[in-house]
Amino acid sequence: MLRTFSAMATGLLLLSAVPAGAASLDSKAIVSRSVADFVRPGYVRFHDATTALDKAAASLCKAPSEASLEAARTAFSSAIDSWSQIEIIRFGPVTEKNRLERILFWPDRKSIGLKQVQAALAERDRTASDAKELAGKSVAMQGLGALEFVLYGTGAEELSGQAGAFRCAYGAAISKNLDDMAGELAAEWAGPTGFSAKWQGFGDQNPLYRNADEALTELLEVFVNGLELIRDQRLGGFLGDTENADKPKQALFWRSGKTADALKGNMEGLKALFDASGIGPALPEPSRWIAQSANFELGNAINAAEAAKGPVDAALANPEKRGKFAYFGVVTSSLSEIFGTRLATELGLTAGFSSLDGD
Amino acid sequence: MRLIDRRVFLKAAGAGFVASLSPQAVHAVEAAEAVFATAYQTRDGAYGVAVLSEDRKIVFSADLPDRGHDVTFDPVSQRAVVFARRPGTFAVVFDHTKRKQLLTIASVEGRHFFGHGVFSPDGRLLYATENDYENAAGMIGVYDATDSFRRVGEFPTHGMDPHELLLMPDGRTLAIANGGIETHPDFGRAKLNLSTMKPSLVFVDRTSGGLIEEHLLPPALHQLSIRHMDIDAAGAVWFGCQYEGPAGDRPLLVGKAKPGSDLALVDMPEDVLGGLRNYVGSVAANPAAGTVAVSSPQGNSMAVIDTATGAVRSSLSLKEVCGLAPDQSAFMATTGAGEIVDPEGGATEMQDYVWDNHLLRIM
Repeated sequence: MLRTFSAMATGLLLLSAVPAGAASLDSKAIVSRSVADFVRPGYVRFHDATTALDKAAASLCKAPSEASLEAARTAFSSAIDSWSQIEIIRFGPVTEKNRLERILFWPDRKSIGLKQVQAALAERDRTASDAKELAGKSVAMQGLGALEFVLYGTGAEELSGQAGAFRCAYGAAISKNLDDMAGELAAEWAGPTGFSAKWQGFGDQNPLYRNADEALTELLEVFVNGLELIRDQRLGGFLGDTENADKPKQALFWRSGKTADALKGNMEGLKALFDASGIGPALPEPSRWIAQSANFELGNAINAAEAAKGPVDAALANPEKRGKFAYFGVVTSSLSEIFGTRLATELGLTAGFSSLDGD
Repeated sequence: MRLIDRRVFLKAAGAGFVASLSPQAVHAVEAAEAVFATAYQTRDGAYGVAVLSEDRKIVFSADLPDRGHDVTFDPVSQRAVVFARRPGTFAVVFDHTKRKQLLTIASVEGRHFFGHGVFSPDGRLLYATENDYENAAGMIGVYDATDSFRRVGEFPTHGMDPHELLLMPDGRTLAIANGGIETHPDFGRAKLNLSTMKPSLVFVDRTSGGLIEEHLLPPALHQLSIRHMDIDAAGAVWFGCQYEGPAGDRPLLVGKAKPGSDLALVDMPEDVLGGLRNYVGSVAANPAAGTVAVSSPQGNSMAVIDTATGAVRSSLSLKEVCGLAPDQSAFMATTGAGEIVDPEGGATEMQDYVWDNHLLRIM
């Protein structure tokens, strides 16, 4: 959605003034492969996961038990894993109808969403237990964050028994609503007339992508903006300069212990997209090292996140695991430089200094 | 580097930076030629602020500890202030004639600067847009320019994310663009409320802090962030917006406001509007010429509008254009690619510099 490059990346991006030029790459093929091998299957996987979640939630409500609650939580965990990979796509259909915020409203800094979820539970708000009505409510009540509170927040244990009937119905409505949105996303990217056609069909008559550079810039921005989001928002939100400054309860998915998994999923998504795009092999020989560095560092980030797995408060209290988060941050900065500076320059897409967002 | 909290870094770096004369400045002519001020970045990644002459030479420059944004100038004391880019915590007061030392203003606890400010007509007070980020409330910080820019007060902007502010011709009313986007330093520049944002343009009495008028966009345009403004010869405020909704939408991006009248958005030909890519990076009026210019570094284009009729007079493609200031009967423009382009199209590219978003005419 935003044609921007991170501040940090642009610092160095200005150094080199002689890019190879995007013209030397087959932009159409790169975009097509990105769509076919990453975006479409990514949304399909997310949709599959939400469909399974919808079923698991319905089963839980029908036959509440420890086992069915566990099954619902497992389905929720899978939905997060698939979402974390595809959420790096922040343009196109996901920006329509506030879907990005409705699927995941975060950070909820002033606990506005939390209060709305708690109020719906306390008041047994019938309209919140209907997926269609829920879709018209506050974005903070609709998505993965709200569902996490339902499944793991205060009072979640009642879900395994009859006392949790309303809570379960609300959770099922969230799941259904997520499944509806995931289905729309998969559908809007599919087919010859979907958003894919706009992105691949760049040219004079295309108001969104007027030329190959704009289409390729959209792809590069997935990496540059995604890395900034992962570092400044997702990691920076809870990892302090020192242990005393850590804020584990400001971490995404701290209740379900999925914080590190989500970070890992983001990096896996970036790696899968980079692989799918075929940019690496398309680079001229002297520049191949850029792709090698990117792959190496993406692997390092994935491994670091894997090693920091588990409840985030416990991980932060463990110096070794905390160090993995810190290292993950260092690697993310390194990746920003690789994508925002090296690769951008190589592709001749040196979006420069003034086009940073919101100023 | 990024893991280090920006604010902590500034505390550490704040004391160390010094004013420097650029090589160009050594050879530069009299300060009387100083005409434009702008923040910049050097090709090796350092930040600073410069004063340029009409013929596009640097006559003054000073280092900054981090990226700057806009500059405001007080003709009484001949001092200027450059503000840190949001969410920065410093502003630097400089005298391009070098009679006075640089002075750094640090934002107070719980506030950061948004990048813009303005002096009172007598030069005694400086007003800066600031973020009360714990409460997600826009504030105007008030600084006493006669007392080392001590912070003497603040008042609310009645909205979030105040960006540019201007002093109206009456010398008393402030026009403030509340961009409407919630941010918090804990989460970098992440936008926290896109689904509920509510930008506004407000007129506030700077002497009392009282709200005079609040102008809102229609609900359907609540994601149209009002950010930059300038004032035409008739005293109307022209504003430029950045759209946070889907990229496929094509809302109007430029509008006009005046105390006592409703906001009006200005229609543009499809190709000109499309060229702005839903993002206006700066707005500058040329009252003598009866025009206002808007730029889009995202669309690599700028457009000049007739302030009497609202019609687009001309548009131009220019890579990374953002900074604009009136010059003769047209505009001087600066770019993120390092160019300074005069009204005749004469371009200077200084090898070592790229120019930040705003260019201010100081005389």
